[in-house]
Amino acid sequence: MRPQREYHIVVLGAGGVGKSCLTAQFVQNVWIESYDPTIEDSYRKQIEVDGRQCILEILDTAGTEQFTAMRELYMKQGQGFLLVFSITSMSSLNELSELREQIIRIKDDENIPIVIVGNKSDLEEDRAVPRARAFALSQKWGNAPYYETSARRRANVNEVFVDLCRQIIRKDSEGSSSNSDKREGPNRHDRKRDNRRPKHRRGPCVIL
Amino acid sequence: MEPMKPHIPPLKISKSNSNLSESNNDTSIQNRFYSAWGSEMSPPLTPQDAQDANMGQFEAPRPVFHNYLRAFYPFHPAGNVSPSTVTLPLDQGDIILVHSVHTNGWADGTLLDSGNRGWLPTNYCEAYDQLAMRPLLKALTDFWDIIRGGCGSSLKDFGNQDLMRGPIAGVRFLLEKSECLTRESSLIRRFDGLRRIRKALLSDLSALVKTAKKFQEVANGVPSEDEVEAILDEMLLKAFKIVTRGVRFLDVWNEEVGLGRTIAELDGPGESLPQHSMPPTPASDSFSLGEVEGPDRSESRMLESRVESRHMSYSRMDMSRLSMRTEMVDHRPVSVATKRVSVSHRMSVSGPSSAVIAENLASERLITTYDAFLGVLGSFIGLHMQSRSSTELVVTTQQAVQSCKHLLNIVEVVCEHDTHRSVFLEQARESMCEELSELVHAARDVFRPAQLPDDDLVFMPEEGKRLVEAATACVRAAGNCLAKARLVLEQIGDLELDPEHYEDRGQDLSSIDSPQEESETPVEQERQELSLRLPPPPLHIPSTTYSPPTPALTDATTPSSYQSHITNSPANITALSSLPNSAILPTHLENISSFDSAHTSYRESHPKSDVSESFGRGITSNGSSFTYNSYARDSEMSGLSQTSTRATSPDIGGSFQGSFTVHSLKESLSYSTLAEENEETEANILERTYAHELVYKECSVMGGSLRALIEKLTAHQSTPDAMFVSTFYLTFRLFATPLEFAEALAERFEYIGDTPHASGPVRLRVYNIFKGWLESHWRHDRDNTALDFIVNFANTRLVVDLPTAGKRLLDLAGKVSAVGGPLVPRLVSSMGKTNTSIAQYIHPDTPMPPPVLGKKEHNLLKQWKNGEASITILDFDPLELARQLTIKESRIFCSILPEELLDTEWTKRSGSLAVNVRAMSTLSTDLAHLVADSILFLEEPKKRAATIKHWVKIANKCLELNNYDSLMAIICSLDLSMISRLKKTWDIVSQKTKNALEQLRSIVDVSRNYAVLRQRLQNHVPPCLPFVGTYLTDLTFVDHGNQSLRTLSTNDNEMAVINFDKHMKTARIISELQRFQIPYRLAEVPELQAWMQNEFVRVRSRGETNTQTFYRRSLVLEPREASRSATNLQSQSESTPSILDNAKDKFDFLSWTNQSKAKSFTA
Repeated sequence: MRPQREYHIVVLGAGGVGKSCLTAQFVQNVWIESYDPTIEDSYRKQIEVDGRQCILEILDTAGTEQFTAMRELYMKQGQGFLLVFSITSMSSLNELSELREQIIRIKDDENIPIVIVGNKSDLEEDRAVPRARAFALSQKWGNAPYYETSARRRANVNEVFVDLCRQIIRKDSEGSSSNSDKREGPNRHDRKRDNRRPKHRRGPCVIL
Repeated sequence: MEPMKPHIPPLKISKSNSNLSESNNDTSIQNRFYSAWGSEMSPPLTPQDAQDANMGQFEAPRPVFHNYLRAFYPFHPAGNVSPSTVTLPLDQGDIILVHSVHTNGWADGTLLDSGNRGWLPTNYCEAYDQLAMRPLLKALTDFWDIIRGGCGSSLKDFGNQDLMRGPIAGVRFLLEKSECLTRESSLIRRFDGLRRIRKALLSDLSALVKTAKKFQEVANGVPSEDEVEAILDEMLLKAFKIVTRGVRFLDVWNEEVGLGRTIAELDGPGESLPQHSMPPTPASDSFSLGEVEGPDRSESRMLESRVESRHMSYSRMDMSRLSMRTEMVDHRPVSVATKRVSVSHRMSVSGPSSAVIAENLASERLITTYDAFLGVLGSFIGLHMQSRSSTELVVTTQQAVQSCKHLLNIVEVVCEHDTHRSVFLEQARESMCEELSELVHAARDVFRPAQLPDDDLVFMPEEGKRLVEAATACVRAAGNCLAKARLVLEQIGDLELDPEHYEDRGQDLSSIDSPQEESETPVEQERQELSLRLPPPPLHIPSTTYSPPTPALTDATTPSSYQSHITNSPANITALSSLPNSAILPTHLENISSFDSAHTSYRESHPKSDVSESFGRGITSNGSSFTYNSYARDSEMSGLSQTSTRATSPDIGGSFQGSFTVHSLKESLSYSTLAEENEETEANILERTYAHELVYKECSVMGGSLRALIEKLTAHQSTPDAMFVSTFYLTFRLFATPLEFAEALAERFEYIGDTPHASGPVRLRVYNIFKGWLESHWRHDRDNTALDFIVNFANTRLVVDLPTAGKRLLDLAGKVSAVGGPLVPRLVSSMGKTNTSIAQYIHPDTPMPPPVLGKKEHNLLKQWKNGEASITILDFDPLELARQLTIKESRIFCSILPEELLDTEWTKRSGSLAVNVRAMSTLSTDLAHLVADSILFLEEPKKRAATIKHWVKIANKCLELNNYDSLMAIICSLDLSMISRLKKTWDIVSQKTKNALEQLRSIVDVSRNYAVLRQRLQNHVPPCLPFVGTYLTDLTFVDHGNQSLRTLSTNDNEMAVINFDKHMKTARIISELQRFQIPYRLAEVPELQAWMQNEFVRVRSRGETNTQTFYRRSLVLEPREASRSATNLQSQSESTPSILDNAKDKFDFLSWTNQSKAKSFTA
């Protein structure tokens, strides 16, 4: 479809969890001493995932968390989602559930690629979210990968994006075999591939 | 590459090599190729033997890039200098500003004495780095970079004062360190020589300042390019002169005063030996490193070198004759080196930063070897891609393999030391070995058929491709290897390599490349290598025990032979480089082959150049071996080798325009000009300044210490830049407390008192800054802590010097403490004001457009007010609704204060001051919800469709009003999944409306960082309501993506200074927002506003439950199952719904009705 593999990643999470640090760290070159977010390429980055060159376009709307009505607009863009919380704030973890529900509703896909990110791992002494808690969430969400990162120390930053990208690629290739077109609607300008449903990939997913 | 690796067996590409030497016994041709190679690479080849011997007893020279060299031997290639060479004659003691050092030891430098530029042998020089001189030297480097660095055009904006601060501060530092700051100092009184040279120094400085003033005047007018260039050149020369004088001053000081004391390391060649640092070496000579030589042979080596150097001069002579014959000077225009090339080049010669690091550290060697390796491989690949000349290929292949081995050696040693035997490193090394042997095989295959009697080997293109691939793979493997090795080094700690061990390694490793056995080092080759080396410095070494930095050179040849090859070397190199072979090379190699002609034109045009584009100079040629940077690794240099402060400076090569007028410097240097004592400079120099604590980049302040920034804020010579001042007022609380700010201002007020001529204006400025702060930038919540201090300052200090100002400030302070808000209310802060001038001018008497509101609507509103009727948006004209929305939003938008946007204030969970920003987001959300509400609570699809249509119209009108904020909210809402899924509804919506919606959608598209929206806003003329979200995101990212401090390397250490750039960026975004803070000229309809407000409140009252409510409504209106059961009726191409879908829908539906928090699609 797209000759150049370009994937759209949306970074979500409550305000103050360090989303923007994470994105900025990932996107900017380490040696650039001055980061300008106002230019078009500020959120694009080329990475290699399993030998494949991919361009990631990251949508991080840090600072606009209060524009709740906008959230859907952002979510629509994404093929994969980083759900970020801070390990120092339990409420930031709890907010993720609502975000995920919204994503699933909008993408109409329960297997949409998601990575759970516990940021601020450098603040271990202020940890408020036990790892077990985060892992439990991960399991509950069909084994969505869970990472702990430190944007400040640049720990695990690339890894979360690569993992997410890998999920998208995998889904992409799985999806291309099945083609279940979705209903038409004003939604149709969405990327179709996002609506494809892989048969079964994730862990237990009990449907009532 | 380190010079210490010459002890590796020579490279042999077994068969081909022997074939080669068998088939061509024609020495001169072989020579020719070698030298052609050399000259393409650059300047004369390396002082190899020096380093060979050097190695024996010495640590390898540190690969540190020195910006300044001082000649300690005279170097006079004089007499028969070929016109096509630019070697720089040196006198002992000359100071050279180094632009680049080629790996073979020749440096491209500018002689400060004359302003001439050319190549010079670094082994005649020593690094000049005197503590007392550092600030001055740094100032000159900055000065050069600014003037030659392509900022020429923007220089106008660059206050003359800023340009001058560096040199002035530098001279001041020098005088201060030498205790000669004032005329009355005891040293100056005692030593007449010192007094005179100090005077001369100051006079030089004042000449520079004068020129700078002249420049300012000229630049303020409409100067011609030439005019500007001429003055810039003049300034540069004057700056050179200051440095030269400063160096002499220090010499005199050392002579007269310094005997018993040391302010700085003494200068003599002997003493400075340990500091002597040669530029690192590398790349191109790696093949001459290939001589087999034991570690113990350095003594005999000296002897040899004597013999050989005689050979050398002969062959040199031959060659030069030969070259005369074959010379085909290529007069193609020189393509100027690209920025990247020359920058990376420069960095590549600069060594690892810390000067303290022992030279033998494994990490160091690793890096240098790697650099050299890339240099060779890079040019190797380049050559193979471009060239068809086979003999060159043989040589480069040899070099390439050789350099691979050098790198492997180091890696091997690291491996050895790694007790844990890092698997990764082993693997990396092995894969590199494999790649290397592949390279060797490939190389052999390429040349195998070359059994032909004539010189030209047959080059097989397809094999060549393989060769290039192999080389590329090699580079990749090496990069991996390097990374792993460094990782290991980090783990096990750095280790010191002893040369011998290291050599053994080399021997061992030679077995790695299996395919080559025959050790064949053609004699001619060796001789040739030698003949290309640097001329040895003459023999006048003060003491016998003194081992010169370039030991082998000390037993140099007789003066005559020495003379002869100096003079010849550059000449024939130049000539040779224009051999047909090199002329073939296309593209980037073109730079190389024609670099000599660049030189020529440079030389010829020296006093009056008209070949402005031909200044690719040596840099271009040097660049060649480093073009690999652009693909071998990120062109951003790995931080490994950034010693040079100028590493990031822009390409100086490309911007060398116009004439470099050489004034009769020598003449003006004479002391006669010193007759006139310049009081002003005297005063200038006495001015205390912290200018050296500022970080500049491309003429703008990037950072600095608080006091340095304050100094800039209150500079006496120029009015401070408005943006700078605004940024300060707006953001200073982010990097200093109000009290610190006040104290720093007071300190500035104080210390400028030492500088009588400047104290007047500066003190007035300090007062003005205080005044501006109190009047319109005072923040009661934060700044009141500084009020007492300010009152005290006004009472005790200000009143004394500026009585009226003192009273006025006291007065203001009194008012500030009495009044709650800012004294001078600012609707719009001063920052955006300059920009707002472009707003459409509307005469105040112009009547506002009348509201589109008929009697009917008024009546409806009246009835609604009395509770007699309910109304909907359909009752009003879209334009009027859009207008009223715009008025409402604009009112909030215009009252956003800049401080609301700082430090992500608006995201604070509690006690946020950003009330207006919050109000914006609330309104925006309310509007979106209102849209959804108005659609979803209509039962009939037809009505819903009509409402959608109406909203699209309103959105369109918002766009016409430039109200992007409302537009965004409406489109967002129409695109909500709960609305967009209403298939029945959308089926009724007309195509026209859908098209219009699509149009609007593309405007508020969030992809590519809101590219469309940003583009539109850029050219907008207020009034306009931009989408606030983009500013908030930008501000968040500026805040989180930039450090608050940046490091400034000062004399000896590093200093953390305020990252002012970050604050400037913040201020710029805020001012961009403020640009639009202009109210619309629209008539408000209070009744309509009241209704809208009521609607918003109603929607908002549902709070967080809105989304749930909407989704439930949506499912009620058009249940999923319903739509499916009616599949046949409604949709043509509907896919069969999965069980999952149905189940989920059902579940969803139930859960919504339940109102319970049932979010367990996943168990």
